[in-house]
Amino acid sequence: MAQTYSQTAGNNAASLKPRRKRGWGGAAPYLFIFPWIFGFLVFTLGPLLFSLIISFFDWPIVGQVHFIGLGNYKSMFTDDPLFWKSLGVTLRFAALFVPFNIAVALGLAILLNQNTKGTAIFRTAFYLPSVISGVALAMIWSWVYSGDYGILNYFLSIVGIQGPDWLNDTKWSLVAMVVASLWGQGSMMLVFLAGLKGIPKDLYESASLDGAGVIRQFFSVTIPMLSPTILFNLITSIIAAFQQLTLALLLTGGGPMKATYFYAMYMYENAFKYYKMGYSAANAWFMFLIVLTLTFLVFKSSEAWVFYEGEMKRKPQKKMKSGGKGKTA
Amino acid sequence: MKKKLTFIVLTTALTMAALTACGGNNGDSNGNASSQSGNSGKGSGEVKKLRFATWDTGDALKIEQDIAKKFEADHPGTQVQVEAYADGFDQKLAAGFGATNPPDVMYMWDFPTYHRSLEPLNSYADSDKDLNKDDFYSGLFNYATIDNNLYGIPAGFTTRVVYYNKKMFDDAGVPYPKDGWTWDDFQSIAAKLSDKSKKQYGFGVRAENDTYDLQGFVWSNGGSYISDDGTKIDGFMNSKETAGAVQLFGDMLKNNSAVLTGGKGQQSGEDIFKGGKIAMWESGIWPLESFKQAGIDVGTVEMPAFPGKPVKGVVAESALSIAKDSKQKELAWEFIKYYVSSEAIKMRVADLPVRVSVVNELKKDQDPLYKPYYTMLERSDNTPAFLLNDKWNEVNRQLSAAVEAVVHGSNAQDALNQAVKDSERYLK
Repeated sequence: MAQTYSQTAGNNAASLKPRRKRGWGGAAPYLFIFPWIFGFLVFTLGPLLFSLIISFFDWPIVGQVHFIGLGNYKSMFTDDPLFWKSLGVTLRFAALFVPFNIAVALGLAILLNQNTKGTAIFRTAFYLPSVISGVALAMIWSWVYSGDYGILNYFLSIVGIQGPDWLNDTKWSLVAMVVASLWGQGSMMLVFLAGLKGIPKDLYESASLDGAGVIRQFFSVTIPMLSPTILFNLITSIIAAFQQLTLALLLTGGGPMKATYFYAMYMYENAFKYYKMGYSAANAWFMFLIVLTLTFLVFKSSEAWVFYEGEMKRKPQKKMKSGGKGKTA
Repeated sequence: MKKKLTFIVLTTALTMAALTACGGNNGDSNGNASSQSGNSGKGSGEVKKLRFATWDTGDALKIEQDIAKKFEADHPGTQVQVEAYADGFDQKLAAGFGATNPPDVMYMWDFPTYHRSLEPLNSYADSDKDLNKDDFYSGLFNYATIDNNLYGIPAGFTTRVVYYNKKMFDDAGVPYPKDGWTWDDFQSIAAKLSDKSKKQYGFGVRAENDTYDLQGFVWSNGGSYISDDGTKIDGFMNSKETAGAVQLFGDMLKNNSAVLTGGKGQQSGEDIFKGGKIAMWESGIWPLESFKQAGIDVGTVEMPAFPGKPVKGVVAESALSIAKDSKQKELAWEFIKYYVSSEAIKMRVADLPVRVSVVNELKKDQDPLYKPYYTMLERSDNTPAFLLNDKWNEVNRQLSAAVEAVVHGSNAQDALNQAVKDSERYLK
């Protein structure tokens, strides 16, 4: 559009007005995105790069800064038992949290997708926990899990089970953490719900005409059609699992006996309790690498299990292309 | 493929950034708030503004604000801005130092960490007759001295004693404990006063112990965390004596004569003591006032002794320091001097007076409720580990984990051996 405008402006060489207008017209989009770009550069990209730089330094808040090259990364791997411990805790948490998170969100979305009365109420109810701030959520769960006065143990005592002191029991605290983390997953449920709504009804109709039952339909229609959504949720779940900090900080403080000492918590303590900014930045960049690798692997594997409708036609084309160069013309 | 990789990298980076945004800025905003509130002196005209950072909250903070007001009244043209950092004290203080915009005067105890950013006060303290250094309890200055430089003036202190609920002792027909009692007495009394079915216990053990506070027990048993020259922990932190002192609490938890308190979602030991469900509690002077207010008929007694060994105590001291970057050190010194004057000390009831003259005047050491704090002070002549090694923070991280393991049922000797193994590298 800008081009056609400049052409007409060129014809009307006499008037200046359109020229000035053209100048503004070119800058306008940049002006519109400027606040975001500025924020991104100054508050996200800048600190990001700066953290990479300080990860090569011994950088205490109080005292002298030294350049130590890869020293932070080296000591992380070679002589910090807490690094391995916290990494192990985080991996265990992710292994529990990610599948449960996806299964529960998908289950709820499927329930909401049924055309029954009151879905709007349930949709709101299921989404509600995501609106609550993480801190308030942690307070609620700390009451729920309280050993002596918690509502969870009260319900358990009704059915005759003496519940453990969830948050102070090394065996149960990580499980308690997983359950509490599952609470705020309304947005993931909504993404699934949108995906479900996007599946054409005729697929189910023809499937049932072919004699497929509900379960068969779920695995042969719903799951493949939903696989791009699952991929997206899988990746965001993995990232969220690795970054879990709020609940650990507020609910257990990493305890008991480091049973919930997440990697993010370890990083946080290195920075804000022990003031080892450089070391903590190195921790953060290592976590970034882990998450990056996992994301890459998931993407890589997605070729095998994610089904894109559009690719049906493209795939044979690709083969033709690689098959013979001569046909390009 | 390359494009896809870039895409993956970008999405991961952005998602992570987006997800961190909500969780990560907590510390930052705190730091900002504190530095914002303290543009010392700028644009305030003739009024000189002095920033004073404290970790206290509630009643103690109120008293400190009153002291600041009195100082302002005595020094026209000055304004003392009391900055209550509360739980975030260390973070905010470190952020202030990092940004070279620290408060002028601050409460301080962790001298090994901060002394490089603090003004040495030897010349002030020695040359200023008004301070009357000799009136302070001797020994208190040692806690604020590093490499012969004095970095803080003692403002308050407490030793640790055993509190007991007289009513619970009376009900069980157990005589009150007396100074000179032993840990054997302590354990048998605790066992007598415990009744698990009533959720009543003889003693409360903290789920999260500050290893600093436990040093009194360790020293009393003839152990220590670190060698006197601060170079070795093997054979000290994991010695039989150190392990024995820590194991004591683990054992009492196991035989139900003590209960674990103050864990996540659990009531604090102080609250349970106030509720009359713990007969004995070990702490500094801090909760005494609240125990009285809760209507508990409370008694205090010296720490028990290990048979045949002298009782040792540990002092928790708070001092006032001046930041090296402060632009008004003279005024800051005046404020500190006022803060530790008899007049101001009498206003502060949350910790013990640091001046002998004030104690004699108020006859505090004659009061049976307060006497044990002073006898424990006489027993506090060991040097705490954090003053002996500047890597102590790192070692302490492992030691704390070991102590936590013991209160959760691990064997103290094993846990401490592990802690020594994990922290040896910091001492090289």
